[in-house]
Amino acid sequence: MFAAPRILYFTAEGHYLYRSAGRALELEAQYSGDEAGISAFRDYLRGQRGALFAVVADLAGEDFHDEQIPYLRGADREAVLSRRLAQRYRDTRLAAALSLGTVDTAERKNERVLLTSFTNTQQLAPWLDALEESGAKLSGVYSIPLLAPALAKRLAAREPRLLLVTANRAGLRQCYVENGKLRFARLERTVDMVPQALAMFVRSETQRLVQYLVTLRALPREGTAVQVVVVAPPGQKAAFEQALASDARLVFRVVDYADALSSAKLSRVPEGAAAEALFLHLAARHAPSEQFASREDRRRYFIWQLQRGIVAAGVGVFAVCALFGGYRWLQVLSVRSDAAEQMQQANAAAAQYARITSTFPVTDTTTENLKATVVEFRRIAERTANPDQAFRHVSRVLERYPQFDLDSLRWSIGKPAELRASPTAAKPPAQAPAEGGADALVVVELSGRVNATQRNDYRGITAQVQNFASALIGGGYELVRTQLPFDITSEGVLTGDIGTSADTGEAPRFTVTLSRRLP
Amino acid sequence: MTFTREELRRLALPLIIALVLSAAGGSLVWSAGQALDSAYRALTAAQAERRQNNERLARIAEEEREVREKIDVYQRLKALNILGEERRLEWADAITRIRTQRELLDMRYMVERQRLLNTIPGKPANVDFYASTMKVDLQLLHEEDLLRFLDDLRQSGNAFYAVKKCAITRTGQTVGGATMAPRLRADCDIDLITIIDRAAKK
Repeated sequence: MFAAPRILYFTAEGHYLYRSAGRALELEAQYSGDEAGISAFRDYLRGQRGALFAVVADLAGEDFHDEQIPYLRGADREAVLSRRLAQRYRDTRLAAALSLGTVDTAERKNERVLLTSFTNTQQLAPWLDALEESGAKLSGVYSIPLLAPALAKRLAAREPRLLLVTANRAGLRQCYVENGKLRFARLERTVDMVPQALAMFVRSETQRLVQYLVTLRALPREGTAVQVVVVAPPGQKAAFEQALASDARLVFRVVDYADALSSAKLSRVPEGAAAEALFLHLAARHAPSEQFASREDRRRYFIWQLQRGIVAAGVGVFAVCALFGGYRWLQVLSVRSDAAEQMQQANAAAAQYARITSTFPVTDTTTENLKATVVEFRRIAERTANPDQAFRHVSRVLERYPQFDLDSLRWSIGKPAELRASPTAAKPPAQAPAEGGADALVVVELSGRVNATQRNDYRGITAQVQNFASALIGGGYELVRTQLPFDITSEGVLTGDIGTSADTGEAPRFTVTLSRRLP
Repeated sequence: MTFTREELRRLALPLIIALVLSAAGGSLVWSAGQALDSAYRALTAAQAERRQNNERLARIAEEEREVREKIDVYQRLKALNILGEERRLEWADAITRIRTQRELLDMRYMVERQRLLNTIPGKPANVDFYASTMKVDLQLLHEEDLLRFLDDLRQSGNAFYAVKKCAITRTGQTVGGATMAPRLRADCDIDLITIIDRAAKK
């Protein structure tokens, strides 16, 4: 898929097949322009199925025609250009239209195009057919002039109008480049000359070309000097510089062949190759979009590019995902490191805790259970009381009231709510404890009789019971209710038995209820 | 632009490669996301544990004071057999012994089924308090007999005795004759409380 591209250098005398390997150009084969050459090329192609090829023609018969078309885009432009090419050239298989920019006229906006083709395309056709039949991928058919703007840029020649002159294997090539775009080119055949003679030939041919371009109005009759960049053959720079003195019309800049190779990033060329090597390397590695081959001739190359594009898109997606995934994995490592550090600190704290607690008194249980057991036990114990204290308290009061006899004493642990819910409750304790934790009460209910007082002495009996009940208050005890022998409350029923002689002899009964809050 | 069957066939492999690469890239991102979520969860758990351990460490002085303060009570509960399973036979033995020693008159008692006491919220789940209510019916010559009985019961151990209620009433019998007739009768409900600490060493 990434094989080194081959370049077929096509001249009137012969054809040369080069292989571009990185920054090197290697001559693989040489063919004559006749049937034998085509046959040999076909034989070569049999072992190169699917290889990538480019054709670079260096022929004298190359036409350049400046024309204007309406400013269009897309299929309309394609149709207009196809029609113009068909009108100008009999065979449009190898014809191209190069855009030279837009022109604003009074009526409309136009586009300037340079129509170009070979005057004789038939000499190229069998070679292109051979490539097509072999299944090779044709990246494009170029001419030396089409590659000239790219070489001029590599040689740092950026003047608006310049002539690029090279001594190729096919002859002396002169290309006129205006604002970075090809305008005209010609090829003049040369014979073996001494350097001085070749330099003088370059000068005379350049002056002729300039004169021709002025005639064509491609160059202004008067104006600034034209820059002429000349690539001198190896070892001839000095001779060229001596012969090519600048004047008011032409400013020569001679570039040494070795420097030109370096500028084009070409380090090795085959023996015998001339300046065309510069163009061939550009065709292999930095080919311009303008070329002559039709879409059909380049179809395999297009499919190959599409294949590479699809794989490249996949690789791009994977690379983006890998970058993002890698970034997240870095985050994972960072978070894991933080977590490990936190766990280390947690373990250190636990170990320190265990070390310190090992000095605690020996317990038969866990610290939590120890605390829970004792706290809960204390809570229960605080809500527990013994009857002893209540019995002693009542006994002390009874000693002061000998006329009182107790029939029963009921001691219990209860809650204020239970006490208030009692149907006989007279009133709640003065300061009833809040519901919740410390809300237990000791309740003492005393029931008895009052002796040594006349049964019908209501006031006396009532006063004694009330005194007795009051005496019981104290020592934490509060009076909850008093049930008198006679109900003197407005809610109760008061009964009497006045004047009857019958006396039951039964002492009046009372009930006193006390409570004491537990802590 | 239309493609021929042959061209489509040639584009199939690059498409498959691109899809496989895209899927691999997606899997990489997804697995990294999963790992990151998991790492964050682990970090949150580790932070919580560290915070908890540090807080516990900061309270250790208070905890030591609490342990030293409570250990005596705990050991006492253990010595009195309040900590541990119920010892109903020991209870019966103790009541019999007290009656004999105190020369008490008739006595009836009944210990009800053990029940779990509702305790404070937040208490460790492996400490439970149980209570068995004992109903006692005593014939007394004097109310002091009841107080001595309750005191002896407390001293006998094997449970924490929480008196819930006691009612003393007169029997109505007069004192005299050859036999000692009870003057008073006491009915008491006493909770016999025991503690089960499942973390305790046997």
